[in-house]
Amino acid sequence: MVVSFKNSIKLFGISIMMCCAICVCNMFMNYLIDLKSVEALVDGPAGKALYDAYISTGVVCCACSGGCLSVTSLVMLFFYIKHYIDSHSKQIGILKALGYSNFKIAKSFSIFALSIFIGCLLGYLLSFAIMPMYYHMQNQTDLIPHVNINIHFELFAILVLAPTIAFGLIAIFYSVKKLNQPTVNLIKGITKTKGKNTDSKDKGNFVKEMKSSVLKSRKTLVFLIGLSSFCFSAMIQMSTSMDELASVMMGLMIFIIGVILAFTTLYIATSTVIRFNQKNIAMMRVFGYDGFSCKRAVLDCYRPAAYIGFAVGTLYQFGLLKIMVSVVFKDVANVPDYKFDWPMFFITLGAFIIIYEGIMLIYGYLMRKIPLKQIMDE
Amino acid sequence: MIQIKNLTKYYGKDQSLFKALDEISLDIRDGEFVVILGASGSGKSTLLNTMSGLETIDGGSISYDGLNIENMREKELTKFRKENTAFIFQQYYLLPHLNVEKNVRMGADLAGNKDILPYIKAVGLEEKRKKFPSELSGGEQQRVAIARALAKKPKVLFLDEPTGALDEKTGRSVLDYIIKLQKEQGFTMIMVTHNANIAETADRIIRMNSGKIVDSTTNNVKKTAYEIGW
Ligand SMILES: Nc1ncnc2c1ncn2[C@@H]1O[C@H](COP(=O)(O)OP(=O)(O)O)[C@@H](O)[C@H]1O
Ligand SMILES: [Mg+2]
Repeated sequence: MVVSFKNSIKLFGISIMMCCAICVCNMFMNYLIDLKSVEALVDGPAGKALYDAYISTGVVCCACSGGCLSVTSLVMLFFYIKHYIDSHSKQIGILKALGYSNFKIAKSFSIFALSIFIGCLLGYLLSFAIMPMYYHMQNQTDLIPHVNINIHFELFAILVLAPTIAFGLIAIFYSVKKLNQPTVNLIKGITKTKGKNTDSKDKGNFVKEMKSSVLKSRKTLVFLIGLSSFCFSAMIQMSTSMDELASVMMGLMIFIIGVILAFTTLYIATSTVIRFNQKNIAMMRVFGYDGFSCKRAVLDCYRPAAYIGFAVGTLYQFGLLKIMVSVVFKDVANVPDYKFDWPMFFITLGAFIIIYEGIMLIYGYLMRKIPLKQIMDE
Repeated sequence: MIQIKNLTKYYGKDQSLFKALDEISLDIRDGEFVVILGASGSGKSTLLNTMSGLETIDGGSISYDGLNIENMREKELTKFRKENTAFIFQQYYLLPHLNVEKNVRMGADLAGNKDILPYIKAVGLEEKRKKFPSELSGGEQQRVAIARALAKKPKVLFLDEPTGALDEKTGRSVLDYIIKLQKEQGFTMIMVTHNANIAETADRIIRMNSGKIVDSTTNNVKKTAYEIGW
């Protein structure tokens, strides 16, 4: 067994995300199925329009949050597997040298699907807790008939079993691909990125050199950190508009998902950078670099990605809501025209700067406390 | 001048409390080359790491030219290390993603030292200065670590089994580099080893056993790295 149960539990970030994704999706899909069953009872053009709007809001929310969260989980899964193989390359290389096939080693990565299963199951169960509230809210109109909660067990198969199996298979195939490199390289711990940047330009300053090499050595993290601020920016700004366009609960839900997603991703990304550079940071500290120089060397390279993610997130939510307002709600009366919400933008940006830079400063402070001797002995 | 008085260090607690250093007292002159000799587990590394401020201590005092470091906070210790010390370890601890030049720059930048080429030349790695650590042999990697440490222009250089991972031939050449550079530049040098032959290259030999200094002798017949046994 290459990957233990304990390692699988470390993927709690993915569990949290799948939990949110499945919770949202199950709630919407359950409602959509129940709503479809009363379609025949809807009458009048106003009722018809509202019915259509309900259906499309459900589909948009489901696809948007569910899809967004699942894609993030998938990227994280890849990231974890790559990271696991890189940091355990010696042991894995020895197994290969002993004659284990790539597939045999890769099979044990399917245990990562366990964290997906846990997340999906929790999300599935959790959704039944908030479902009554959602149904109650949707039922407050007289234009369409009352919808009652019916539990649809086929959703369990689609939302819990299917993702688990799919992620398990993906984990196996992805790790087979990653393990497909010369055994000697694995044993020596030579990853492909190391030798490549031979002729990168000399910056004449060590901290800057370190910054660019950290950035190059873990490119997925750039994506994850960008994604983290993308989610923060998009979902928080969207949540306030949702208050007006859909309902307070929808707004709150998006807000919560955005915050959870942003913080989990940011936490996973930064703690990985630090764990991966722990020896290097310790060595810098031994030589007399202070905590904040270390922070600049290993974390500051992600700042552009974070702010670009924020900007893209802002544009994304604006575009999405604009489309939603003009397509989904075009037949519904009294929907306000959607304009870019500048005050909210500045509030979110302010919060983002304070939170992001604050977290980075805390890490800088923590780096100062790294026990040097222990790390070097590991 | 480094003055150590009654230095004591414990590991573990309660049942497993273990005295790694037992009231060690020791003076080291500026520019002196001291070898700390002892069997594995005798506390050599612990002595080196505590006297250089990498590890905290449980009793006694350590002063550098009258400046006491035992009660310093992490911030002051960092500044102290930045201005005074450099290290060379058995496992090299180079930064794997940076080439030779940039690894040396890690030390040089702290001393505001812009000219790193002389240090790379001094350890004979001019040709390989664009190579990454994984592309170098063990001896070459240790020479990078030497260049990195010296480029920092330390007042005191600490070495923990610098030749421990090297074969005889490479070990001798690395040791030779270190000794030559110390002679030229005159910094204080404290080297830990369990190889009694290496001790013959030093000004003074300090023997340790079970966390205590058992013997301290001045070495009047200093040998070069190529004259000693291995
Ligand atoms: N972090 C630690 N925790 C507990 N015991 C330790 C630790 N580091 C060293 N020791 C113990 O202290 C003793 C001296 O260790 P060390 O100074 O590394 O010896 P040497 O370098 O002479 O081989 C050993 O018995 C070792 O087991
Ligand atoms: Mg030792």
